[in-house]
Amino acid sequence: MSKIKLFVQESWLLLFCSFCFGLMLAATNAAWSEKVEQNRINKIKNLMSSLVPDANNFEPVLDVEVDLGKGRKATSQVFKAVSDEGGCIGWSFKVEGTGFADKIELIVAVDAAFEKMAGYNVLYAAETPGFGDKIRQDFFRDQFKGSPAGDFELARTGDSKIIDNRIVAISGATVSSTAVVNALNNYFKQIKSALEAKGLLKNVK
Amino acid sequence: MSNNNSGPGYIQALTAGLWRENPTFRLLIGMCPPLAVTTAVKPALTMGLSVIFVLVCSNFVVSLLRNLLKPHLRIIMFTATIATFVTICDLYLRAFQPVMSEVLGPYVPLIIVNCIIIFRAEVCASKCGPIVSILDGIGSGTGFTIALCILGGIREILATGRIFEIPVMPAGFVPWAAMQMPVGAFVTLGLLLGLSSLLTSGKRS
Repeated sequence: MSKIKLFVQESWLLLFCSFCFGLMLAATNAAWSEKVEQNRINKIKNLMSSLVPDANNFEPVLDVEVDLGKGRKATSQVFKAVSDEGGCIGWSFKVEGTGFADKIELIVAVDAAFEKMAGYNVLYAAETPGFGDKIRQDFFRDQFKGSPAGDFELARTGDSKIIDNRIVAISGATVSSTAVVNALNNYFKQIKSALEAKGLLKNVK
Repeated sequence: MSNNNSGPGYIQALTAGLWRENPTFRLLIGMCPPLAVTTAVKPALTMGLSVIFVLVCSNFVVSLLRNLLKPHLRIIMFTATIATFVTICDLYLRAFQPVMSEVLGPYVPLIIVNCIIIFRAEVCASKCGPIVSILDGIGSGTGFTIALCILGGIREILATGRIFEIPVMPAGFVPWAAMQMPVGAFVTLGLLLGLSSLLTSGKRS
């Protein structure tokens, strides 16, 4: 009994304050969590819209568990880009890879038949300023616009204006360039298989 | 630090952190944000305002509880108080300043372990009344914010030739990409600390 009394005497303030702080945080979270989630959705939809400007809406159709290698897995939600007339004009999803400094997250779009890539936007990257962060720049991103979806190869030299599956690496940022190419190759294969397995790719033609 | 709540105590509490006890240039504490988030003025200012909010709120709460605090439990009480206000600040930024929240990344939650806040709680708030503690929080936080903005301003101008998106450097200026990297932060901070030491060396001698 004396131990309990001592415990209460010593810690009542900490217990009381923890309870009050917990209430404060719960109230704040309840008030703002919806806004935080909406910001996240808006950001992803804005990035998707800039890749498929003709899309009127992006409908979530499928969650695909993607194998990232070394036992790591990630879930990617696939969105169907819907035109004004209601037809499918493409697919968009999040791609994740390991960059030089941290993970790289991209929002990618492909055409309705999953044959050509519409491009990508960077959702998150912490690559080296002046080097790896050039994956955000148009001269690198434009190589993917209209290229065949998947089986990309990284080349150290070449003409970056030729649109094919050979991607010219960013000078001084081979790790970041490789990360983008490998992540796209990995996701395209698995997402395409998942869409085909669900019969979604056949339906759009 | 004065313990009484008279006029001079208020002024001293408010102004000490601006220069005489400036956390960055004079006390050299809380050095992680000055190195990590000063690539531009906007993130530096956001971080500074976040620290002011947390400092003022935690100083106020600690000051109210100062007569109830058990000496051996005070650090855990400080940490719980600081963590609460940092989490509220982080949620606010994610809800209403999503771009800045993304730029600052993990450095907002890391305010919890910023020495400045626990230092002011220990040195001032646990010994002084609420008004002096609030003024001390405002003063120290403002001194820290000014230091961050000076660093951010120098680095942004030299790295991009712009400040707040306004070009300020003459035509033909070649941006110093290194100023956006950690090396730029260390060099700029070192030079500013040298300057601060030079300015105060006369008084010391």
